[in-house]
Amino acid sequence: MVPDLPQAALAVAGVSHSFGPRRVLRDVSFTVHPGDFTSLLGLNGAGKTTLFALITRLYHSRAGTISVLGHDMRHEPLKALARLGVVFQQPTLDLDLSVRQNLHYQASLHGLSRATAEPRIVTELDRVGLADRIDDRVRNLSGGQRRRVELARSLLHTPSLLLLDEPTVGLDIESRRFLLAHVRDLCRQTGLGVLWATHLIDEVVPEARVIVLHHGQVLADGPRTTITAAHQGDIGAAFATLTHEGQPA
Amino acid sequence: MPYALTLTRAALLAALALPIAARPARAFRIFVSNEKDNSITVLNGATLKVIATVPVGARPRGIVLSNDRKSLYICTSDADHIEVLDLATLKVDRILPSGADPEFMALSPDGKTLYVANENNSEVSVLDIAASQVTAEIPVGVEPEGMAVSPDGKTVVCTSETTSMAHFIDVATHTVIASVLVGTRPRFAVFTKDGSKVWVSSEVAGTVAIIDAADHKILQTLHFSVPGVPQDAVQAVGINLTADGKYAFVDLGPANRVVVIDQQTGKILNYLLVGQRVWHNAFSPDQKFLYTANGISNDMSVIDIKRLVVTQSVPVGQSPWGVVVGP
Amino acid sequence: MKARAWLACLGGILLREALRWMGQRGRFISALVRPLLWLGVFAAGFHFVLGLSITPPYKTYIPYEVYIAPGLCGMIQLFNGMQSSLSMVYDREMGSMRLLMVSPFPRWYLLSAKLLAGVLVSIVQVAIFFICASAWGIVAPPSGYLAVLPALLVSGLMLGALGLVLSSFIRQLENFAGVMNFVIFPMFFASSALYPLWRVGQSSPGLYWISQVNPFTHAVELIRFALYDRFNPVAAAVVLAYLALFMALALIGYDPGRGMLARKGSD
Repeated sequence: MVPDLPQAALAVAGVSHSFGPRRVLRDVSFTVHPGDFTSLLGLNGAGKTTLFALITRLYHSRAGTISVLGHDMRHEPLKALARLGVVFQQPTLDLDLSVRQNLHYQASLHGLSRATAEPRIVTELDRVGLADRIDDRVRNLSGGQRRRVELARSLLHTPSLLLLDEPTVGLDIESRRFLLAHVRDLCRQTGLGVLWATHLIDEVVPEARVIVLHHGQVLADGPRTTITAAHQGDIGAAFATLTHEGQPA
Repeated sequence: MPYALTLTRAALLAALALPIAARPARAFRIFVSNEKDNSITVLNGATLKVIATVPVGARPRGIVLSNDRKSLYICTSDADHIEVLDLATLKVDRILPSGADPEFMALSPDGKTLYVANENNSEVSVLDIAASQVTAEIPVGVEPEGMAVSPDGKTVVCTSETTSMAHFIDVATHTVIASVLVGTRPRFAVFTKDGSKVWVSSEVAGTVAIIDAADHKILQTLHFSVPGVPQDAVQAVGINLTADGKYAFVDLGPANRVVVIDQQTGKILNYLLVGQRVWHNAFSPDQKFLYTANGISNDMSVIDIKRLVVTQSVPVGQSPWGVVVGP
Repeated sequence: MKARAWLACLGGILLREALRWMGQRGRFISALVRPLLWLGVFAAGFHFVLGLSITPPYKTYIPYEVYIAPGLCGMIQLFNGMQSSLSMVYDREMGSMRLLMVSPFPRWYLLSAKLLAGVLVSIVQVAIFFICASAWGIVAPPSGYLAVLPALLVSGLMLGALGLVLSSFIRQLENFAGVMNFVIFPMFFASSALYPLWRVGQSSPGLYWISQVNPFTHAVELIRFALYDRFNPVAAAVVLAYLALFMALALIGYDPGRGMLARKGSD
């Protein structure tokens, strides 16, 4: 057991998983503390999606434990899920519904009444700069705007841990920049723990803690500065060396 | 089936029915002649339950209620006579003579004379009921069947199946004064309430001719066709006209339908699905329901005239032919 | 969690389904046109075939289109159940299922709420179908339209739960065409929807027994009897039993520890 378990926003300990004979995760352990911006860096197929499925309780791991704010996902799933906000890789907004209707749906899934949800919806939308689009149909929003709505949505129930699974896929540079900056602000200002999965090394922000996942194993876990120390702060080179992948970019 | 909803509904219906039940309900019975098992089925008009099955002579077909509503005249065709069923005792207490193979008959408005179609010898027999005597035999076309008496009692119409004619007979002289050619195999005739027209159905042609009773001209011929039913199965037989002049109901035999017609315009309003080979029909006393005798499916269908829907079909005897409503 | 939170959750799921249904005019129209089309085709083609015998709950002879109307209600619910359950998982809506699954309410509650939402939509569709059918002269006793509501609720839940089971266990049913071919059509044709069972038995005893165990047969009979103010205890018992079975299987299917997802992965 990790001793600081109750304090951790997310504690993953000794998690292994396999689909049939194929081992997808091997003894994965790490923690995300409140206020941590943690980059989960890995190539496609490294096991990020499976890890996210386990943390969001789509299914249980074959071995190991996952807990959110001290609540074990297997034994206290409802308390754990209540503290969790997620931005999925796939778009999950109803295109034919308005932004407001989409957000109210999410709020209701967390048991928030309409009266409680309404001001939070307005606040969160305002923070992502989309307050004026509240009654627009999602279909009429750009890809970047939709992602911002999804981010606002994941925060409606004031979670302590935010998971983002490749959130910038398909977005333009400006939208990526906005999203990253906004989540970094949240970490700093509200003490939100963030786990940001990506295969893009330039999304590993300077203050990030970095977890390198490769073939289902954690190859490195620590502050960006520590991991890149041997590579003059070049995260790309560090990642390449760690994963034995050719020459530094 | 015991079921909460059904119970609630029953209770509700009972509550609704109370004011009706409080009125002096005119109880009535329905009499159906069963051609094959030589009986008359008697049903309670309100419950549609069979009260009695009365054995009668061989092959009962046409049935007519007496004017005093105390007896039922029955053409027992293969017994070659007419039987009189006492409706109080449900026993046949009189036999009236007729020509050979009586199939159908009509009663004079004064209730004293029966005009009987004798299918086998091409005659209409005039039967004095009180005297139990055939007082005249009027030659008509081949295979007479349909019989109708005008409301004033002065004219009798007889249809002859093979000759395909409707014969107008003058009662005073017992002579045929006019013969109107109609569709093949005319089966049934009926006067309108005012006596101005005669409706004649033709079985094989599947048509109804509306004839002017004064000048014996066909005013209108109604044709029927039921979607999905072969045209040769569309045969017209029994007719009933509502007293309010609104509807006519014609039984379409093997088409298994009763056609609803606007009595004034001849416009076809609806085809109602009933049992197989529907032959004759009768109104309830209040003319709210119509009962049909279905010859092949051995049952009687009930039509709600207000809603123009068939509400129920209840089993009767073998090969029901005629139906009459009485006390 | 407080009762109010549970209600908010249920309300949110129901509202979303209603909004989506109203937003997707295409889905609504096809859901309506399909049974009406079938009504037209079958009623025209089989006009003289039926009406030969009185089958309970009917009290008299009925035209064929009157006979198949309850079966078409069942079909609306069958399509609806399959569509709403399967689209959640296999269409591009996979994400919306994940969204539902990360809600901090018990999974049985979320799945039941989702199911109920689909059923309520299907009942609205059936009601519209009845209105259209009445123009065709297909009318039931007025009280029958009330009595049919609980029957539609139970049968809709059962068929929706079946959709959930299929979505969680059978990976091959990746698109709706597959479901049509291997689930909807067999269930529909091997049932009492198009012919009374006694008539099915006359032509094929094998088909008769398949129809007898087919849950869809009992859903249709439950609807048919209720529509004529009658209760069919056998059909009700069978439908409830299947509902319990499918619900149990669906919960196993979506159980994080046991279901298909845990065995084969999420994508």
